[in-house]
Amino acid sequence: MKIGVNTEIAVTYLSSRKKQTAVAALGVMFGISMFIFMQSLMKGTNDYFEKSSFSSTAHIRLYSENKVADAHMLNNNLKDNSTKILTNPKQLTQSQGVINPYGIIQSIKKNPQVVAVTPQVTAMVIYTSGSVNINGTVAGVSIDEEDKMFDVQTNMVAGDLHDLNRVNNGLLIGKGIADKLSLHVGDNITVRAGTGSPMIMRVIGIFATTIKQIDETKSYANIVQAQNLLGKDRSYVTDIKINLKDYNNAPKVARDLEAITGYKAEDWVQSNEQLKAAFKIRAIILNSVIGVILLVAGFGIYNILNMTIYEKIKEIAILKATGFSGKSVTSIFLQQAIFIGLLGGFIGEVFGFLITFMVSRIYIGAGTLKYLPMSFYMPHYVEALCFGVLTTIAAGYFPARKASKVDPVSIIRG
Amino acid sequence: MENIALRTQNVAKYFHDPVTMQVLKNINLEVKKGEFVSIVGKSGCGKSTLLYVLSTMDTDYEGTLDINGRKVTGLSLNELAAIRNESIGFVFQFHYLLPDFTCLKNVMIPGLRLGKYAAKEVEERAYEKLKMFGVEDLALKRANRLSGGQQQRVAIARALINDPAIIMGDEPTGNLDSKNTGIVFDLFQRLSKEYNQTLITVTHDEDFAKKSDRIVEMADGEITNHGH
Repeated sequence: MKIGVNTEIAVTYLSSRKKQTAVAALGVMFGISMFIFMQSLMKGTNDYFEKSSFSSTAHIRLYSENKVADAHMLNNNLKDNSTKILTNPKQLTQSQGVINPYGIIQSIKKNPQVVAVTPQVTAMVIYTSGSVNINGTVAGVSIDEEDKMFDVQTNMVAGDLHDLNRVNNGLLIGKGIADKLSLHVGDNITVRAGTGSPMIMRVIGIFATTIKQIDETKSYANIVQAQNLLGKDRSYVTDIKINLKDYNNAPKVARDLEAITGYKAEDWVQSNEQLKAAFKIRAIILNSVIGVILLVAGFGIYNILNMTIYEKIKEIAILKATGFSGKSVTSIFLQQAIFIGLLGGFIGEVFGFLITFMVSRIYIGAGTLKYLPMSFYMPHYVEALCFGVLTTIAAGYFPARKASKVDPVSIIRG
Repeated sequence: MENIALRTQNVAKYFHDPVTMQVLKNINLEVKKGEFVSIVGKSGCGKSTLLYVLSTMDTDYEGTLDINGRKVTGLSLNELAAIRNESIGFVFQFHYLLPDFTCLKNVMIPGLRLGKYAAKEVEERAYEKLKMFGVEDLALKRANRLSGGQQQRVAIARALINDPAIIMGDEPTGNLDSKNTGIVFDLFQRLSKEYNQTLITVTHDEDFAKKSDRIVEMADGEITNHGH
């Protein structure tokens, strides 16, 4: 009931000065729509870069790290309590492969976080066509799983990636390789790994990522072909790639896997440090821009309410004379601020969505990036409204408090 | 004791700007319930200042003030606001309506603030009060469209909305012609006689003062005649 009177007065004040209310609300509206637009742009961009980094990097990569010999290894030979000292340790010669990969894959699959696991054989190779040689790597994969994890299909510019399963010595090459060696789908290419013998393979498809370095070096082959290239048996696997339900859990899961398997598990955060740094920098830039916008909107409200209070000082005195307490007067003016905040907020939400939508139609056309990446993410809208209303409350509080302190006698007596 | 609506003991007040000067000296005033008191005196004798002290709006004074047997000196501003809302109706020298609201709303606002009656009832009561002063036709007009006299009558209606125990007026008829002054005076008299409401008015209008129950005369910040 009592809240009702204050609200009624607040609303009457706002509606009897529509222009000023509109101007104040407009300030909030711009603040909020910019907030939404910037947040959407940042999240869209971050998501895009994250996604594109996942187009070549798994959430976790498990591989065998070259080890340096240490004294513990002597325990195998000298099984007594003597102190073992090893001088001038060297790197151990080892296969670089993961031992018992399929057993490890089975055990990794038991982890509830894991959604996809796929083995890979990576081979450093030299591509030859005619008289031109270029260096590169062949990733021996199961192309279906690879596609599931990294969405290879979207990068395809020619050919069909499923031919990798059908054509015995098929090779899916990067666009850079195709250009340099002047290759087309159906052409032959000689591939030679360091320790193996040269093999003639057939180009069954060409892909292009946004990363030039990958396009100029990488190719996909069937895992068996890669093993053949290296002259290794069917159990030879260099990497196990793992995708999780939530990639944010990657560092933790990676530590677990390291402990279980004894191999090095590198999560995507480690392999993309610069991406994380870019996210952080962008977040700082964005937040300072938003902060300034909201500050300006807040000052707008502060000014308008302050002016209102000067204009209405006689009326405030009357209200106090007829029994409105300081608290009620504060409430009347604070409610005006909140109303302006909500009005501007809701219009700002709609406007912010429209800007975001329109900008998401801007054509970029660089690599796989066709349109400006924008995200439509509900929590942004909730946050924007909360920030907007909080700013207006903060901006309205000081004038409202001033109003509550008006001394009715000095005003009424003139 | 129960018969006393308002009592002051040794009230004194000083103005400090530009130089300290005493404006009220040793005011000991008692007003009985249902009494119609006029305070008269020359300009600057401190009668309005006294009225604002009595109204509880001015808290910067020495001495004590009791309203309806309750000591109000030293209460918090919010408590004083509640007392004003419920037990004191105030009519100002100038009409002082809220220009953005209709006359009806102006009258209703203190009633809504009190929250004793539902909005619907407050509205009916507000209409009644406006009728008493013959301005019910203007109820739905915005206050800033009214003439001075009309506004003054609406302002008096507003002072009555919560049936306050004490009604205070600072030149309540200052803006009214003789006919309307008569209406207001008769009404004030009825309020005091029939409803036992206490009226304290500050006035220059000698006829108005003479017709009231008691005239308190002031000079140089002191009461020179209690009118008993």
